[in-house]
Amino acid sequence: MTGYLVRRILWLLPVLVGVTFLVFLTMHLAPGDPVKIMLGPRATEETLNRVRTELGLDRPMPVQYVSWISRVLAGDWGRSIQLRRRVLPLVSSRFASTALLGFSALFLASLGGIGAGIAAAFKRHTAWDRMFTFLAIVGFSIPVFWFGLILQFIFGVRLGWLPTSGMIASIGGGGAWDMVYHLILPVAALAAEPMALIARMTRSSMLEVIQEDYIRTARSKGLTEKVVLLKHALRNAFVPILTVIGMQLGFVFAGSVFVEAIFSWPGVGNLIVNGILARDFPIVQGSILLIASSYVLINLLVDVSYAYVTPQLRYD
Amino acid sequence: MCKRCTVLSICLMLLVGLTGTCLAAGTLVVALEAEPTSLDPHQLTDYNSVRAAAALFETLTKFRPGTTEIMPGLAESWVMSEDGLKYTFYLRQGVLFHDGTAFTADDVRFNFERQTDPNHPYYDTGVFGYAEFTLGMIDSIEVVDDYTLVFDLKYTFPPFLRNLAMASAAFVSPESLEQYGADIVIHPVGTGPFQFREWEPGVRVVLDRNVTYWGEPATLDTLIFRPIINPQSRLAALEAGEVDFMVNPPPDDVVRLQNDPRFNVEAELGQHTWWIVLNCQVEPFDNKLVRQAVHYAVDKEAIVDGILRGTGEVAVNALPPSVWSYTEDLKIYDYNPQMARDLLATAGYPDGFEVDFWVPESGSGMQQPVEMATAIQAYLAAVGVTANISTWEWGTYLDKVFGPPANELPAMHEMSWIMDNGDPDNFLYILLSGEQWPLDGFNEAFYQNEEVDRLLREARIELDATTRETLYIEAQQLIAEDSPWIWVDHAYETFVMREGIQGFVFQPTQGILRFERVVFE
Repeated sequence: MTGYLVRRILWLLPVLVGVTFLVFLTMHLAPGDPVKIMLGPRATEETLNRVRTELGLDRPMPVQYVSWISRVLAGDWGRSIQLRRRVLPLVSSRFASTALLGFSALFLASLGGIGAGIAAAFKRHTAWDRMFTFLAIVGFSIPVFWFGLILQFIFGVRLGWLPTSGMIASIGGGGAWDMVYHLILPVAALAAEPMALIARMTRSSMLEVIQEDYIRTARSKGLTEKVVLLKHALRNAFVPILTVIGMQLGFVFAGSVFVEAIFSWPGVGNLIVNGILARDFPIVQGSILLIASSYVLINLLVDVSYAYVTPQLRYD
Repeated sequence: MCKRCTVLSICLMLLVGLTGTCLAAGTLVVALEAEPTSLDPHQLTDYNSVRAAAALFETLTKFRPGTTEIMPGLAESWVMSEDGLKYTFYLRQGVLFHDGTAFTADDVRFNFERQTDPNHPYYDTGVFGYAEFTLGMIDSIEVVDDYTLVFDLKYTFPPFLRNLAMASAAFVSPESLEQYGADIVIHPVGTGPFQFREWEPGVRVVLDRNVTYWGEPATLDTLIFRPIINPQSRLAALEAGEVDFMVNPPPDDVVRLQNDPRFNVEAELGQHTWWIVLNCQVEPFDNKLVRQAVHYAVDKEAIVDGILRGTGEVAVNALPPSVWSYTEDLKIYDYNPQMARDLLATAGYPDGFEVDFWVPESGSGMQQPVEMATAIQAYLAAVGVTANISTWEWGTYLDKVFGPPANELPAMHEMSWIMDNGDPDNFLYILLSGEQWPLDGFNEAFYQNEEVDRLLREARIELDATTRETLYIEAQQLIAEDSPWIWVDHAYETFVMREGIQGFVFQPTQGILRFERVVFE
């Protein structure tokens, strides 16, 4: 198990270097001058050139990449071109907000999805099953930004039950409950699609497993259907479900860009979008590096949890 | 009702009051269109930053609220030499920065030289895109005593006093710069009626009333700016009572909000113009008649009503109407497709022609660029002109249109401009003088009329206001005759606020929002 873990961790390094290089290349090859965008139309050509030199943007691209990556390794993620602020604290605080939103949504999606999937499998070919299937199709098909606006309108504007935007109340605010209160709508909007997918995967995986001989054996021993499903079937059905949950993390981060925009959630998604529009290389590169690192780390955790759930996958 | 039930009901009511729409006394929550990028006044280039920073900082001169007239700010008075090259300023005494240090003449020199002198110890604490534009005419600054200083200018520059009222001429506490260095962008310390409390990135910027303010103190205790990028979400926050004031609602909702008794809608004309640049150096727009023809071909009123939903005013002149010297005594291009066809025929294009038309997908001040371009394309097609639209992302677009020579630019492209200092020089000279072709300036139409150039040049150095006005009016008339652009509209800045909010003032220069005198009815 230890050898497996070490191998997996070592594999992360080339992945991260590859990601940073690709992002760096894409950002620098895209047309548009960050200095022109930052300084606005009133800046003279002389000022533009001076600032390009100050920011090191006049150096060859490979030199810029090596200089950036070596500074990152030394803990200096640079300053944002547009915001003139240190990248690391800014990106980390924004990333923490996105992680809170994303993991809450993934948790809700997993809980709801697995529950609904088991219920659908348990009540297969009944009206309940059909209802869950219908809801899953709706949840999967509904665009995040549209669903978010609808939730915002109904629960925020019409009913006034929940805040329409932000992470804390405008005046005062800031406690844990205040944040939970503000999390409900964005989490619901973001969780809908992964929940639907997890529910579908749980249902089909469960249905597949319950065809197996050992389930028939369990039943023939006189175990209740509940014990058969939850104890014997679910654990064996769990590997594909875990894979889907792990993969949904990527979706949750991508989808959070829309949800953050609609609910003014101060996450890294908004920061990246603005960073791309302003060609703010350090912000975009820093954010992607952080997201990619956490993504590969989560994938590692998923793989490790496979090994836990299914001992034959421990490779060693 | 039992006693316990009564207590429970009161608690519930209090809870609803606390979590609902109740407004704490003296606190105003403003929803901005985006998060400020910085709160260092010397580094601001976008509206949202200027709006959040405006209450924190002050300048030597300032604009009379709601107008483009100049009045004393941190300078009580000033004297200009007869040749217009020397200005002596007498500063207000007893002004304190928010950190408690006194504001003196040395601080003026410190702040200006920080932006213009590469040898200044704090020059490397920022990037100053407006410095050359705002302060570039200053040759030297002499501090006579703590409250007197003299500016020597390199050349006569009548809008100088207006430039001194702009954000980049505002004063940051030198001690705070020493303390925070480049992080001054998130630790603003000025002399304004509000002082900075906190900035939670992506969440809010909180300002408190400055209790040591030298002038009349602000009426509000606290002023909070919240960035809500999505216009629909901004409106939802207002309707749910989470914010009290919002900037620019979705155009489709404006009429509904005007009829909603819970809100007041104010539409104010900024100093903005939206236009199509006609490339005057290449065929077919090197011919004045063709430029006039396409100008007549576009139904501006229909675009303003149908696409902009009345959030703009039809432009009859390139210059924004709120700028002094603005005139409507010039050639007016009312929608007239027949006139357009006749002019095209006279110019030798009876069957029209085909041109390229570049359009950004979005952009500061660009309103609804793609929809507007599509409408204009259809109007031009009706008179036989085929305009082939190419759209570009804003950053790419700026790169493509600012800089290349005339022969590398398309025949038509979209542009807009928001003026800074309220002086016609800030618009007519830099955008339409033949001396301001890129890269010297922003005359992207590569328009040149020697008479216009002479008038604009003379007006730049003329010290007599009446003579300047005459020169600018004449220039506007000649420009309208030449039609180097199709000027389409001047955008309104629309503000929606809760009913009962009084005392808000819109400052057309730099689009500043003034909340110092806001009271709740």
